[in-house]
Amino acid sequence: MVKKLVVKIWPLFATIIMYGLSGCSSVQPWEKQNLAKPEMTFEGDRLDTGYTEHIYSSKEASSGGAGIGGGGCGCN
Amino acid sequence: MESVPVKNTSKKSRVFGALLASAAMLLPSAKNALADAAPEQAVVSMKYLNYHDSQTGDTDLTAGMSKDRMTVNALSFMGMVPIAGKWSIAATFIEDSVTGASPAYHGWGFPSDEKKDTTSSASGDLRHAGDLNVTRYFSRGTLTLGTSYSQETDYISRGVSMNGTLSTENKNTTFSLGAAYNSDTIDLGKPNVVKSKQIDTPGRKRVASGLFGVTQVMSQNDIMQLTMTFTHGDGYYTDPYKAPDWRPGHRNMFTFMSRWNHHFDGPNGTAHLSYRFYTDTFGIKSHTFDAEYVQPLAHGWEITPNLRYYSQCAADFYVPTGNDPLVATPTTGMDFYSEDQRLSAFGAFSYGVKVRKELGRSWTADVKYEHSEQRYNWGINGKGDPGIPTFNMSAIQVGLSRKI
Repeated sequence: MVKKLVVKIWPLFATIIMYGLSGCSSVQPWEKQNLAKPEMTFEGDRLDTGYTEHIYSSKEASSGGAGIGGGGCGCN
Repeated sequence: MESVPVKNTSKKSRVFGALLASAAMLLPSAKNALADAAPEQAVVSMKYLNYHDSQTGDTDLTAGMSKDRMTVNALSFMGMVPIAGKWSIAATFIEDSVTGASPAYHGWGFPSDEKKDTTSSASGDLRHAGDLNVTRYFSRGTLTLGTSYSQETDYISRGVSMNGTLSTENKNTTFSLGAAYNSDTIDLGKPNVVKSKQIDTPGRKRVASGLFGVTQVMSQNDIMQLTMTFTHGDGYYTDPYKAPDWRPGHRNMFTFMSRWNHHFDGPNGTAHLSYRFYTDTFGIKSHTFDAEYVQPLAHGWEITPNLRYYSQCAADFYVPTGNDPLVATPTTGMDFYSEDQRLSAFGAFSYGVKVRKELGRSWTADVKYEHSEQRYNWGINGKGDPGIPTFNMSAIQVGLSRKI
């Protein structure tokens, strides 16, 4: 199952990797002032994210996606 | 190494180069675009959560199946300290207090039902959890080692993790690789465990996970991230508190997540869009769409509305309700079975808003409200179970943070 999914999804990863490595993304360091804003990172408010992910993973059958690690729970 | 001869350049180009260099130096935080630079300030935060959920029988089939289910009050703390410009240590601690019961299994726990909902006796249950992460920052990457511990009256989880990132020379592309391992123990000797499942030997669950991701700067205002995670779990997945529940002893999970952040120059706001696909060997497949928009306002205010849609199909061994949801569905002859509504097919819509205020140079305060509703007929994959009542949940968070 996982092999089939990876085969399907891998072209997306390959495309974005090729995009990056080919130099298509030519954003220079001095052009990154917007990218450097805290709200442009994928990390966000750690405690907020912790609560929200815990709520949804305990009330739905799915969990994870953005990262791995952290404690398990008897709630799901 | 062969030295590169210095070329003669015109005064104009030297001035231009100096201006560019100065501009880059004026933007020291630009190196944080892909979050692989050491933090410059310590941060301490605390956040309070009040959560409540309920079920509402609002169809002919589920009439009378309405009940408040669970209330959670939680307090969490986070501290992060940079060390010597190359390291950081981050720790979180959470204590939550749970009263009430998890969502009903078909008609379990409703007043008109004779069956006993044993999780109601979990009233006042406390959970303590914490994690510690140490990160080493390199010129083009990071390495983070983490450990976690969580304890409830009947459940203990211990975990370790290792995550690394590596950026290309221009820092427009970052690769992520991670691995994690959790070992959980479930106390099956508690008096409120269903009699047929009570044993002195604790249940065990071991879960190993792997992650691969790519983050790519797409333009001056766009950044994208693709992440795949694989999880293999072995052990006790059954709910010990509900009789009509017996699940397989292993579960493989796979997620694919894509996230896109876009900055709007005009209003100086930022949109966060994400999609997650999830599938596992229980037969669950789900789609999650998330959207939020961060809008800074005058005087240090910031408002962030968010929307979320979720849809899942039922697990292979989910037992649907019959014509009367309050009557038990026969499971004779089935190897695995569950009446857990969380394993049924449903769709859910959520909305929320977060308001944040800077208080001087160091302090920030925030308040967030979020509401979600699950309905059997809101899903886009899988036929829902009309015998399952609507599930509502709402949460309020209040937080305070200080940079040091």
